[in-house]
Amino acid sequence: MIYSLLVVSSPASGGCTQTASGFARSLLTRGHSIHRVFFLDAGTDTGAATAVFPQDEVDRLQPWVELAEQHAVELILCISSALKRGMLDQAEANRHDRVAATIHPAFTISGLGQLVDATANSDRLVTFGG
Amino acid sequence: MILHTLNASPGSSAFNDCLKVITPGDSLLLMGDGVYAAIADTDASRKLGSCGAHIHILQQDAVARGIDKLVTEANRVDLDGFVTLTEQYPRQQAWY
Amino acid sequence: MTSAGKKSVLIVIRHSPYGSSLARASLDTALAAAAFEQPVQLLFMGDGVLQLLANQDSKAIGARNMGSLLSSLPLYDINSVYVDAEAGLRYGVDLSRAPVATKALAGSEIHQLMSSFDHLLGF
Repeated sequence: MIYSLLVVSSPASGGCTQTASGFARSLLTRGHSIHRVFFLDAGTDTGAATAVFPQDEVDRLQPWVELAEQHAVELILCISSALKRGMLDQAEANRHDRVAATIHPAFTISGLGQLVDATANSDRLVTFGG
Repeated sequence: MILHTLNASPGSSAFNDCLKVITPGDSLLLMGDGVYAAIADTDASRKLGSCGAHIHILQQDAVARGIDKLVTEANRVDLDGFVTLTEQYPRQQAWY
Repeated sequence: MTSAGKKSVLIVIRHSPYGSSLARASLDTALAAAAFEQPVQLLFMGDGVLQLLANQDSKAIGARNMGSLLSSLPLYDINSVYVDAEAGLRYGVDLSRAPVATKALAGSEIHQLMSSFDHLLGF
């Protein structure tokens, strides 16, 4: 089946984004396809290229980067949620005259239309929050 | 038929709203702090037991939190089991 | 199973309007769905019913007025807005004065409503 995921929780708090990336990996192992992962609200923190995780905790960015790079999973950060959290790609950093891009290149910044499209084109929509 | 996922402790409004809606024939997957609702011999687990839905618990979150006295009717699942639940139920409601 | 075309979506809103950014995100999602002509309906539950209070004026806290955002829903052809009647009662929300017209549901009716959609977006 075709799945899309909606992630609204931050990797900085709780284990939900870690569960979401593990769920995504399980989906692929079981032969499903992932149309898109859409990160909204605090979920957009997931794309932070500059996050440094404590050495005694797992890196919560790397599993997503692997999903994008090894399995071409599309990772979209909601633009309005991302910008107000300082999550910028190079184009947005230039547009808003900020010093640096802050998101990992595995992620793309786009609008809520991408979430709407995901609901229209997926058999399953699974939300990860809290 | 709805797959409910609860990622909030039994003291939360998420827990109460989930219980308000859940119906026999549904499944409930407890994850994150939601797993605390499955501790045996508590008010929360008694409420879960009387809702009539199938109760599942994300094993990794229960183990992490030191929950060893689980209600007997809770079915322990890993992430593959979570995927299986989403295959079986056409829609999911996330309570958090 | 069809994998393309229109899917019906119910947005379940459980967060109060100014205490978190999730409330705004949920309504923005509804408006985006309407803009892309995807069928979407709304259900307010729990603390979410606090979005339905009349006379919201958020100028002094520098936030978007969620009441006025709600009142714009019919302009986007979002006309099905449901509310958890018990939560409205608990918080003393006068639904007859809410920024948008709502249909009040009992707990058992909420399950029936949710079961009739392809996707549920829980906020």
